[in-house]
Amino acid sequence: MNRRMRSLHRSMGAAIALFVLLLSITGIFLNHSSDLKLDKHYLTWPWLLKHYGVSNVQADAVYLLDQSVISQFGTEIFVDAKPVTHAQRPLLGGVVLDEMIVLATDDALILLNSEGEFIERMGAAAGVPPMIQNIGLFHGAPVIQTREGMWRSDFMLDKWEAISLQGIGWSLSSPMPDSIQKQLVKYFHGEGVTVEHVLLDVHNGRILGAAGVWLLDLVGVLLTILSLTGIWMWLRRIG
Amino acid sequence: MNITNTRFWQMIFVGLVLCSIAVSAFAGSVNQTNEDFIAETFADNTPKSKVVWIKNDLRPAIATILGHEYIGLRIRYWQQGERTAWILEEIGKESPITFGIVITSGKVERVKVLAYRESRGGEIQQRAFTRQFTDATLKEQKLDRHIDGISGATLSVRAMTSVVTMALYLTEFINQIE
Repeated sequence: MNRRMRSLHRSMGAAIALFVLLLSITGIFLNHSSDLKLDKHYLTWPWLLKHYGVSNVQADAVYLLDQSVISQFGTEIFVDAKPVTHAQRPLLGGVVLDEMIVLATDDALILLNSEGEFIERMGAAAGVPPMIQNIGLFHGAPVIQTREGMWRSDFMLDKWEAISLQGIGWSLSSPMPDSIQKQLVKYFHGEGVTVEHVLLDVHNGRILGAAGVWLLDLVGVLLTILSLTGIWMWLRRIG
Repeated sequence: MNITNTRFWQMIFVGLVLCSIAVSAFAGSVNQTNEDFIAETFADNTPKSKVVWIKNDLRPAIATILGHEYIGLRIRYWQQGERTAWILEEIGKESPITFGIVITSGKVERVKVLAYRESRGGEIQQRAFTRQFTDATLKEQKLDRHIDGISGATLSVRAMTSVVTMALYLTEFINQIE
């Protein structure tokens, strides 16, 4: 009986040795997390961010206008990596007009100044034709294509005349520049994942998801048995 | 359980279902487009819109009324005689609420929620609530009256009170400069 217990004790010890090491090391680091400033150090390894699901920052629309990157995420409009206003409808394009950025959704024009500050939203009540499909420029004048035809205005944007023109420079979407994408990822997900967070997840198994938690539970059970068999053998020896 | 008792619970259940349908009808709805509100206000004789730039002393005054900085550099309005119509947006809890406000001779003529996008607090759209603002005037940058709140719609009520005060203040401002 004693030999069988010793054999069980040894094999379980070998099986969980690696986990005990891992738990001990991560536990020591976590104990001194504040002193080591582990909650202030961020990890930005792409595979880790992907693992935590924080790397997926995908703009719904991107336009390069007046050396600024205009993008839409849901109902938020960004100039570079700064949120400036909201739009309930999808962005369809934009043009630069007299130091002003004019963005179009199907029901309104959104005006920003050259610093990216929101000026105003102009819809049908302000005289903008409804059902906009695209926006462009024709010899510096703003032109919009709507379902009911083509319209031209001036920088005031409150009077539109029906026209039919060729050679309009329609707004085209652009790919998101990497530098702005990085800033946007930082905006949405902060600096990355803290070392403390990763260590804690390694310590409690959550780094492997639900399976990791169960695995650590199993290690816990094995450690309990290991302790009990150890105490039993020790008692047998002194007894 | 007897039949009467069963019927009672059936009626309660049906009542709850109807209430939830009514509440969901309030959530996330566009009641009237901005252009329809303006056209209706001026009986299809809509004046040309004008803008007021939110700058200099006006910006901090508006920030005081709203309790936060106004996002936007100018606001559009429609004016005909003594009547001025404003379309203003303010965040309730998470989403912008669009309000249509008509001011006549320094008094609130009408307030209407044109679009309500919050999931809760839609009761502010009811006339029973909005009519509290009728004839309200500005008194030291505040409304001259107390507006009764709605349980569960505190932020939406606050948003409406702020934008109505703002519309009165802006009307006073544009009348002074004209």
